[in-house]
Amino acid sequence: MRIDLQDLHFGYHPEHEILHGVDLTLAGTDPIAIIGQNGAGKTTLVKQFNGILTPTSGHVLIDGQDVTTQTTAKWAAKVGYVFQNPNDQLFLDSVRKEFEFGPKRIGMAPAEIKHRIDQVADLVELTDELDTHPFDLDDTQKKFCTIGAIIMMNPDVVVFDEPTCGQDVHGDHLLNRLIRHLTAAGKLCVTISHDMTFVAQNFKRVIVMSQGAVRLDGTPEAVFSQTAALKTCFITPPPLTQLAQAVGFTATPFTTDAFVRAFEAERK
Amino acid sequence: MDELAIEVKDLSFRYRQTTHAALSHVSFSVPKGSFFCIIGGNGVGKSTLCNTFVGLIPHYFLGKMDGEVRVNGQSILDQSIADLSSQIGLVFQNPFNQLSYTASTVAEELAYGLGNRGVAREEMVKKVAAVAKLMRIDQVLDQNPLDLSGGQAQRVAFGSTFILEPKILVLDECTTQLDPMGADDIFAIVKRLNHEGITVVMVDHDMERVAEYADQILVLAAGSPVLQGTPAEVFGDPRLAEFGVEPPAYATVTQALAQRHLIKAELGVTKEQAVALVKEGLNHAH
Repeated sequence: MRIDLQDLHFGYHPEHEILHGVDLTLAGTDPIAIIGQNGAGKTTLVKQFNGILTPTSGHVLIDGQDVTTQTTAKWAAKVGYVFQNPNDQLFLDSVRKEFEFGPKRIGMAPAEIKHRIDQVADLVELTDELDTHPFDLDDTQKKFCTIGAIIMMNPDVVVFDEPTCGQDVHGDHLLNRLIRHLTAAGKLCVTISHDMTFVAQNFKRVIVMSQGAVRLDGTPEAVFSQTAALKTCFITPPPLTQLAQAVGFTATPFTTDAFVRAFEAERK
Repeated sequence: MDELAIEVKDLSFRYRQTTHAALSHVSFSVPKGSFFCIIGGNGVGKSTLCNTFVGLIPHYFLGKMDGEVRVNGQSILDQSIADLSSQIGLVFQNPFNQLSYTASTVAEELAYGLGNRGVAREEMVKKVAAVAKLMRIDQVLDQNPLDLSGGQAQRVAFGSTFILEPKILVLDECTTQLDPMGADDIFAIVKRLNHEGITVVMVDHDMERVAEYADQILVLAAGSPVLQGTPAEVFGDPRLAEFGVEPPAYATVTQALAQRHLIKAELGVTKEQAVALVKEGLNHAH
């Protein structure tokens, strides 16, 4: 599975362009994080991946096929997008119905839907809530309901739009486990996030957007070590990276273990 | 004794049509001018508690309440939500739950509370302009609040609370949709207001931020207080993990370094403290 963006321009209004010529290739299964200030164009960018929005000029190719050649409903079987605000996505009266809706629309066999419901509910910890009204779920559960509804369709690419916002430690762990599960199953996870610790610890590739363009693209180490460039993109690195930078370490640690190793190396 | 902004005595609350208590036997007090943080996992009652401070509980969200909540010395039961709103302002977790849904522009939204207080038009215009500038939303004053991004809407929600100049600010996870620098911006304003004497009560999942700002931290688990103290006391407590809270990264790393005798046996809960400990440790053997 591969998504190519070629000189992609986009604006909601003709006189106000949001994305200014993005060239990007997303491929493989290493999870990708997209970060950047509010208004940098992150959500607008990922909504191009399955045709929710289509370019004003330039191209989006999914496995070589232009995204405009078929509808979002069709692409959704390959590229799933989990909305930032669960209330924008949920509309049925039970978790089970939310989970069944997408697969039915893409013509998944009833037996497979049934099998997947149990699997996905377990993965997002909603097994006991399948008959609950989505609006009776707490905020974390609601978010995982929207995630489950997308994973139900078994897409090759799953795009998460700020899945960490408003979540506690447990929600973060659950999300971390989910991304690892999907990656192991050969899926590509693309995630927009403001939580830099989460980004540094869970993703192999980090794309930094600013003012409608890609500014940095590389491993977390490569990206978070560029302090000057990050500042111009209004990004603050994860806490331990900031600490390492403040005391002048050459390494860019994200975890306690990595920081301790860096400390020992610096002291020698 | 310090004067109290908020006093909670043996408070229990159960929402109507539910069987379990959202809060059970909660007691604590918030001295005037302090920065008080409430932390804990999702669903432990943090937002419920915030709603009692402004009287939304029990006046708007119905249920069975026992015990007492006093704001500036007076019970919330003796005051209406409108009375309380002149002393205490709550910034909601979801900004779209806070919008008035009567304003067609951001400017009107910001002016909404002032209008209810009968503030003169000229004064209103001045205040709206000042708050919009402070919150960096002066470019969207003519836009419909419902067209805003989550981050912008959170700035408007802050602005419409700040504009009423409450003496007590309650912040319920109010920067979840802001990028880190945007959130830093807002907390710089909150910190300044706190230095000027405003009492701040904050619920947040960002432990680095909590450690940096809090004078006192209350940890809730399943509707009950389980731990209270300064950031160093709370984040140094070995039971913390049981309560679904991870300490700030700075505390975890200084603890790990101290255990290996690489730095002084001290807990650094803020970046500043951790920097000092690490610098000292690089130069001296421990």
